[in-house]
Amino acid sequence: MWGEIKRALAQSTERFLTRFADLLPGTAALLVAVLISIALGFLLAVIVRRVLTSMQFDQRLTQWGFHSSSEWPLLKSPTLLISRTIAALIIVAGFLIGIAAFDAEWTSLLARSIFAYIPNMLGAVLVLVVGSVIARYLSRSVLIGAVNLNLSYARLLSVGVRWLVLVLAVAMALEHLRIATGIVELAFGILFGGIVFALALAVGLGSKDLITKSLERDAQKVSGEKIEEPFRHV
Amino acid sequence: MEVEPISQPPAPKVEPVTSADLVLGVVAEIDDESLIALCDSLRTLPGSPIIAALRNDHASVQAGATSEASEKMHSPYFVPWPSSKTDDPGTPVVNIATAYQSAFAVSEQLNARACCIVASTIEDAKPEWIRELVQPLLEEDFDLVSPQYALRKFEGLLNSSVISPLTRCLYGKRIRNPMGPDLGISRRLFTKMLGTEKTGVHPLASIAPAALCDNLKVCQVLVGPRTYPPPDWTNISSLVAQILSPIFADMEKRAACWQRTRSSTPLPSFGKPVLLSQDTGTVDVSRMVESFQLGNRNLQEIWDLVLPPSTLLELRKLARLPLEQFRMPNDLWVRIVFDFALAHRLRTINRDHLLKSMTPLYLAWVAGFARDAEAADASGVEQILERLAVAYESAKPYLVSRWRWPDRFNP
Repeated sequence: MWGEIKRALAQSTERFLTRFADLLPGTAALLVAVLISIALGFLLAVIVRRVLTSMQFDQRLTQWGFHSSSEWPLLKSPTLLISRTIAALIIVAGFLIGIAAFDAEWTSLLARSIFAYIPNMLGAVLVLVVGSVIARYLSRSVLIGAVNLNLSYARLLSVGVRWLVLVLAVAMALEHLRIATGIVELAFGILFGGIVFALALAVGLGSKDLITKSLERDAQKVSGEKIEEPFRHV
Repeated sequence: MEVEPISQPPAPKVEPVTSADLVLGVVAEIDDESLIALCDSLRTLPGSPIIAALRNDHASVQAGATSEASEKMHSPYFVPWPSSKTDDPGTPVVNIATAYQSAFAVSEQLNARACCIVASTIEDAKPEWIRELVQPLLEEDFDLVSPQYALRKFEGLLNSSVISPLTRCLYGKRIRNPMGPDLGISRRLFTKMLGTEKTGVHPLASIAPAALCDNLKVCQVLVGPRTYPPPDWTNISSLVAQILSPIFADMEKRAACWQRTRSSTPLPSFGKPVLLSQDTGTVDVSRMVESFQLGNRNLQEIWDLVLPPSTLLELRKLARLPLEQFRMPNDLWVRIVFDFALAHRLRTINRDHLLKSMTPLYLAWVAGFARDAEAADASGVEQILERLAVAYESAKPYLVSRWRWPDRFNP
């Protein structure tokens, strides 16, 4: 009896040690893959950062009318953001390659499906970043324009435009990620329609005076009445 | 009996103009007869200079001459004005920048001693003020003759509030209308301007600074009131952006020159002052003040990026003042202009956004100025503007300091 127990224990210990020994090469490969990817990622990040800095990428982005680097929502500098994203992607890729080295069927499948999903994730991130930049640019344009037109609801218009673009960007990103597409479409339709309706109501009700004044001015022009404006700026 | 058709007399053969002493470009609407009369008048100047008149075909059609008539009109003065036509037939105003550059190019081709460009409406058949604008160029060897218009108190406000005092403070010369737009320019200067064509700065914004930085001879001519069609500026912010952008861009280009200049001196002046009657009634500034208050409530996120905290604090205090006490102090306005010029240089935000967000601040200055000037006569208005110009000069060390060390004042 005692002998059988000892034999069973010895067999299970042997099986455990065999399995553990089987894992060791895979673990070593994973470690090596992660270390190499960290080094590669760091190197590439440094190269990308130097290239973008020499191109004055941050300043150029601002010149193209997008953003001041100090207001960048994700990181302080777009150059840093891009270089760090590249480094992170390379490290993640190295980790997935390392997992595949375990030679187990499920790890290979997992790695393959994650790799197949990466383009969607990248697309979604790009859509979000561009959407955020466009939303800020447009909302600022609308805010300044509305203030200069003396519209008291300038802030509301600006926020409305920002949310319209952001909602659109988020819906597009979720579509890219293939997450609950049906619900996203429905929710997007409701939200987008709701914001447009709310804005239309707010602007329509708020701009009654503006439209009346504009019509009066047009009527004066048609009847040939001279509009006296004491101030001439040029 | 057959009647022979009366044959049209053959058009006199006109020799093409190959050289001239003076090239005259009239951007405003003018018919051919008036242009010829103007050239005849300039021809009587001492030395009988040879005149070449740039003909803006589009403007002459607008002025009433049919296209057929204008085709038939021949004159020894006329030379074609390349690139002066506007693409949009509904817009009588040609592109001033292109018109100036092409006028300079033609002047150089014709080896002219000087070039005179008139953008204001010509009301008389033989306007004396154009002769006066040309005379210092041909007789006194001046390089730039700028106009000094007789203005009513609420005219030319952007020039009075920014362009003129800023140019005076930067380059040390008390020039009243540095951007003309009616200017007399010597060969030395227009050749120089042709060389800087590709810098992208509007020529009107660079002519006076170029002349002043190179120590060329500059004078002013008192030309009386300026007549021009009222621009349809329903949106003042576009006006502010379009005018200030080239000025700030030129300021950036000439930073090395203006940082050396201290104080200012008057320019030689010609002509007799013309006094216009000034209204002394009250003006309604409530809409401008409301516009400023609205801007103060909503544009803080932009102003925060441009203006230092002390200025923002003063603006908040200003926004709380009742209408009857509303005045923007000169030193506050001057610092605002300097800070916006710096933000334009640093591209802190999109330049169009930046300049358009300045409009409520400009309207606040106009409201304060209107309050001060509404009861003043011409000399009173002069004193107000002189105090503003002095404030610009006094604050120049602030500008130089911020320009050199922009981060030092940042919030």
